[in-house]
Amino acid sequence: MRAMSSLRADSDRPWAAEDGSIPPASWGRRDASPGRALPWGFVLVVVLLVAGRFVLAPYLTSAALQTWATVFVAICVQALPFLVFGVALSAAITAFVPASSWTRALPRHPAAAVPVAGMAGAVLPGCECASVPVASGLMARGVTPAAALAFLLASPAINPIVLVATAVAFPGQPLMVAARFGASLVVAVLAGWLWLRFGRSEWLRIPSRPHGEGSKLAAFAEAMRHDLLHAGGFLIVGGLAAATINVLVPREWLTAVAQIPWLAVLVMALLAVLLSICSEADAFVAASMSAFSPIAKLAFMVVGPMVDLKLIALQTGTFGRAFTVRFVPLTFGLAVSASALFGWLLL
Amino acid sequence: MAAAVNRVTQNLILALLGGAVLRISAFSTTYLNYVKPGFRPFLIGAGVVLVLLGLAGLLQSLRPEKEAAGRGGDGHADGHDGGHGHAGGHSGGHGHAHGAGPRIAWLMCLPVFAIFLIAPPALGSFAAARDDTPPPRSQALSAFTPLAGDGPVDMKIGEFIGRAWDDEKKSLTGRPVRLTGFVVPSKKKGQWYVTRMQLACCAADAFPLKVAVKGVAAPPADTWVEVTGTWIPRTLDELPAGVVHPELAATDLVEIDAPAEPYEG
Repeated sequence: MRAMSSLRADSDRPWAAEDGSIPPASWGRRDASPGRALPWGFVLVVVLLVAGRFVLAPYLTSAALQTWATVFVAICVQALPFLVFGVALSAAITAFVPASSWTRALPRHPAAAVPVAGMAGAVLPGCECASVPVASGLMARGVTPAAALAFLLASPAINPIVLVATAVAFPGQPLMVAARFGASLVVAVLAGWLWLRFGRSEWLRIPSRPHGEGSKLAAFAEAMRHDLLHAGGFLIVGGLAAATINVLVPREWLTAVAQIPWLAVLVMALLAVLLSICSEADAFVAASMSAFSPIAKLAFMVVGPMVDLKLIALQTGTFGRAFTVRFVPLTFGLAVSASALFGWLLL
Repeated sequence: MAAAVNRVTQNLILALLGGAVLRISAFSTTYLNYVKPGFRPFLIGAGVVLVLLGLAGLLQSLRPEKEAAGRGGDGHADGHDGGHGHAGGHSGGHGHAHGAGPRIAWLMCLPVFAIFLIAPPALGSFAAARDDTPPPRSQALSAFTPLAGDGPVDMKIGEFIGRAWDDEKKSLTGRPVRLTGFVVPSKKKGQWYVTRMQLACCAADAFPLKVAVKGVAAPPADTWVEVTGTWIPRTLDELPAGVVHPELAATDLVEIDAPAEPYEG
């Protein structure tokens, strides 16, 4: 990812050129290409749409393709309102809550700050794409890294929007929501404490950040646009993968895997990593895997917001590789164990 | 080449996606092919937000002078000081990091392509035929009220299956019922399935509710029909192994248009 290479280039002042908003406006962006005055790519898209409607559409009628497209569009359409709402709230917090109020709200003692920061994740919504820059902003403002990490893990997993989405996806199963909340919070707090006890400061690259400027409304719209473009794109990747698995993989395979309990949990945890579905939408995908046990679905929803391919990329870009190679396996192990434990207790 | 996503394009993509969502939710009932009916207000809201965000961004980028001046002072390191780029107009006024968005944003055009080019229909016989898992038994045994009247009773396929398997009073016995669904061919001779997909949340978790129809010839697959007939009672001990669907001795068949709401909730 580009964020990585640019951070390498001037790693002592990685955000120095930014406008101070969280996430920074150019975070994850590529350098400007020449000729950006005209949106040629978009013109091409529109031409393809119009021409395709007359030329291609009569041929796109195979039953398998249509079924795939229905599932793909359904996942996107179902997830989009949650994504938009979550991004709007997270952008509002980014734009309207000053970063300094975080430092005041947290206890002085690091070990006490970790669970408080974890619980703060339950109040403050944001999907995982937003939580990485928010956490790095917290560290830059002087919050204990371990507490910021607990927030990083907890916020996308247990915020109200995600819990409501989970309740909608699992109607009549309130224990699924409770188990998701409990397991995710435990993982976040444990990971924070472990990092506090064993982590070394040289593993973690803490970005510094200049003060922001510009109108708050502009910062709000910019943060929203940015989050939507990132998270939306990754959501589509997840929708593509899920629809393809849904149509291509014979049900008997998944049913066969799903019948071996420990394997089912591991497979769903790995699937969560691979699919990289936004935490606001992952409950719907988990619910659709009807062959799997509730514990396996829980593992999918606990692992997904904490470890997935897009998060690994984002974390490496933000905090450095030395951090990611330690933090990701730690979180994955904790998440699988916690979901097995909570699933066994509650489901 | 699909290169970096410039600022204008970012906003165009957002507006395009929002427009596509509005088209299937606010201006038609296509969204019922994908999600449950109650989801409409959320879809319209999300579509409106996307369109507004895109349009606001487009308006903003029509005023490059102001934007460049506002951003010029915050430390762009590569020699674009405040006024330098203005003579070059839009292409030169921004700092190096502000023009381009993530490439992955292009993917947000894919659902738009799917909606406009493939126009995915409600799940039909292809999806129903490949998934032969039995639907979960949902109804409580006492939940079935006696059937009133004496003409054919319009019944949801889910309710028919529930009454067929789980109703201790056997309320279906001898009663003509009318089921609405689409045709799925069967591998067994002399029967076909009248089918309805059931959603828990969206089409990704749909599973088929099937009733085997005997006594009338099968229309082509995916035809929507109203089929009238009576239940063929079978006791649980004479059932073969594997998934078994309840059976209907059909007396009448009417082909109908696909309903606006294709799924049973």
